[in-house]
Amino acid sequence: MQGIEVLFMGNNMLRLLDGLWVTLRLSLISIALSLVIGVFVGALMLVKNPVVKVMCRVYIEIVRIMPQLVWLFIIFFGITKMTKINLSGETAAVIMLTIWGASEVGDLVRSAFQSIPSHQFESGLSLGLSRPQLYFYVIFPQALRGLVPDIINLSTRMIKTTALVSLIGVTEVLKVGKQIIDANRFEFPNAALWVYAEIFLMYFIICFPLSLLSRKLTKKRGE
Amino acid sequence: MAEHIIDIDHITKRFGDNTIINDLSLSVEQGEVLVLVGPSGCGKSTLLRCINGLEPIQGGSIKLHGEPVEHGKPSLYKVRQKIGMVFQSYDLFPHMTVMKNITLAPLKVQNRSKDEVTEKAMALLKRVGLDGKADSYPSELSGGQKQRVAIVRSLIMNPDIMLLDEITAALDPEMVHEVLNVVLDLAKGSETNSGGTTMMIVTHEMAFAEAVADRVVFLDGGVIVEEDTPQEFFHHPKTERAQRFLQTFTYSR
Amino acid sequence: MNTFKKIASVFAAAAMALSLAACSSSNGSSAASDSTDDSSAASGSYRTVDQIKESGEITIGVFSDKNPFGYVDNDGTFQGYDVYFADRIAKDLGVELKLVPVEAASRVEFLETAKVDIILANFTVTDERKEKVDFALPYMKVALGVVSPDSAIITDAEQLNGKTLIVVKGTTAESYFTENYPDVKLQKYDEYNEAYSALQDGRGDAFSTDNTEVLAWAMNNPGFTVGVESLGSTDAIAPAVTKGNETLLNWINDEITALADEQFFHADYDATLASVYGDNVDKDSLVVEGGVM
Repeated sequence: MQGIEVLFMGNNMLRLLDGLWVTLRLSLISIALSLVIGVFVGALMLVKNPVVKVMCRVYIEIVRIMPQLVWLFIIFFGITKMTKINLSGETAAVIMLTIWGASEVGDLVRSAFQSIPSHQFESGLSLGLSRPQLYFYVIFPQALRGLVPDIINLSTRMIKTTALVSLIGVTEVLKVGKQIIDANRFEFPNAALWVYAEIFLMYFIICFPLSLLSRKLTKKRGE
Repeated sequence: MAEHIIDIDHITKRFGDNTIINDLSLSVEQGEVLVLVGPSGCGKSTLLRCINGLEPIQGGSIKLHGEPVEHGKPSLYKVRQKIGMVFQSYDLFPHMTVMKNITLAPLKVQNRSKDEVTEKAMALLKRVGLDGKADSYPSELSGGQKQRVAIVRSLIMNPDIMLLDEITAALDPEMVHEVLNVVLDLAKGSETNSGGTTMMIVTHEMAFAEAVADRVVFLDGGVIVEEDTPQEFFHHPKTERAQRFLQTFTYSR
Repeated sequence: MNTFKKIASVFAAAAMALSLAACSSSNGSSAASDSTDDSSAASGSYRTVDQIKESGEITIGVFSDKNPFGYVDNDGTFQGYDVYFADRIAKDLGVELKLVPVEAASRVEFLETAKVDIILANFTVTDERKEKVDFALPYMKVALGVVSPDSAIITDAEQLNGKTLIVVKGTTAESYFTENYPDVKLQKYDEYNEAYSALQDGRGDAFSTDNTEVLAWAMNNPGFTVGVESLGSTDAIAPAVTKGNETLLNWINDEITALADEQFFHADYDATLASVYGDNVDKDSLVVEGGVM
């Protein structure tokens, strides 16, 4: 148990919780924005206009090819160099995560809709459902069911990616952990184990209910 | 009698340069069971889809009880409520129970009362032998059971006509019978005061076609080649093309 | 037209999202995240000494997890040799101090975009970096150190000839000994903790890397001593400012020169490094006063 006392020294517990809040705040805002914008992107990709389609494709591929760290530097440092506009670290982080998240959500939305067989549309229409009714009762619920696990998976990836923001001066939970380990590295060289265990526990407490939820949502229909 | 349910007047349907239906005219009377047969790609399935407004037509007109069926027009949603359609592929909504599948349209489209619709649904399910499956999801049903539910889902709308598009083509052989029996039952009109259900059926089951049809229409190349009673058509086909087509269904030793 | 409308609505949504994000982060900066919100320091170009004084706040980038140079203690307060100096700079300028946690990989960018006024993050002066930032006079230096067991202590690099020296791959120590002491057998490891274990297990006779590193380790590992405290070429560690920021550069140089009178960096050492390096270390192997190496 050597080193566990580090967790209870000074404000360390509170600082870890603060860091967790930074991580969560950045992730939640980004996930929410990604969902809103991603649905638009997905809808655009389903538009029959080839120019719009190609533009969306290019956007998604560029985001995919470039590492998130590069995006973060471009947004936080690059924009300031080019335009003199100075974004705060958190704003830059949210923009980076949202650009990335929205492209992923867009592609997920597109594939969720494309995976719905055409006869689902046709049988709905032939029952006399109006377009809004067709989408509300038949198409959206099916698309959503396919989307939920993917979105939750993406969300956990976004939460993890948030750790990058310490490079632009934003202190999230992992960085707080490193600070605590480092501040005590001479007196308690084994503290790292306990600090990481606590952070793991914090992530687990957040992510486990999410994965339970997604499992429940996908299993519900017995398919 | 002899009231026309469907009037098809000189319609033409093209996919690009490919003419699928060529200047075709056809009428279906109240209570009539019309079976469409013909080789693959002859346009019989496309014809059903045009009648339901799922495909636009390039010429002519289709009328249901004198009202035009026009692809893309708002009036189409009204007309479609009077046309029941069952497809070859299993098209139940996978996220809804059997009961929800059946009651969705009557509740949301026709605004009927929940009690009445549920009662009617149970009666129909009983008629097709599936009254125990009301709370099952489609994934828990066999192919034959799914198609019987799909028939019920159309029937509950009280359609003027049912369009059945190769509804047994995707089924395992042992399930074909149970579905066709349901259709035969509908054709006879075993329900008290109502007569037989008016139907247009596309099928490759020739024995079934002969049993169920009041009239057989043989399509080839987008035109009606022969039109007759089932007895005449299946035993004394008049055109060479029909003879050749029917031969493909018998083994020649 | 229809497509155009759709695209327009996406842009509208994106713009809304950005403004939303901007609000949420500007009012949400907690103590744990000393992020660079509010552009007190930066608008993309550097600030002169007068501008800094006028704003009443100086922004200095420091490490937050490099004990004992820049770190955050258990109470959440910045501490360390660099932070001690940063405090003094702010005090002598008569302004508030705002510390921004930086990482080794982003120090240059923070200066290039003027998101901080000064970097005080154990910043080693190199020719490559000189092209991108302006270094002031050094306030610390770093060289190689050699740590060995008390039972067979190495006090001169010559004693290593024919013996086995533990090094970490890619460090200055590896290249230095390869070039200058070909008779020393090198045992190479990927990680520092592997190298220390090897030394403790007696797999090698000594271990060499930056003296700041081995000195701190020896202090906390009884039975081992840094017999060679300063070896090889000495690297200067200096404050850095945005390239071209002459007023601030000159001010820092004057400050460092003036602080020599009171032996400020020796006091800094006593306050921040002594507990880590112990009393036996020669302070002058690390501390630079008045910018004179």
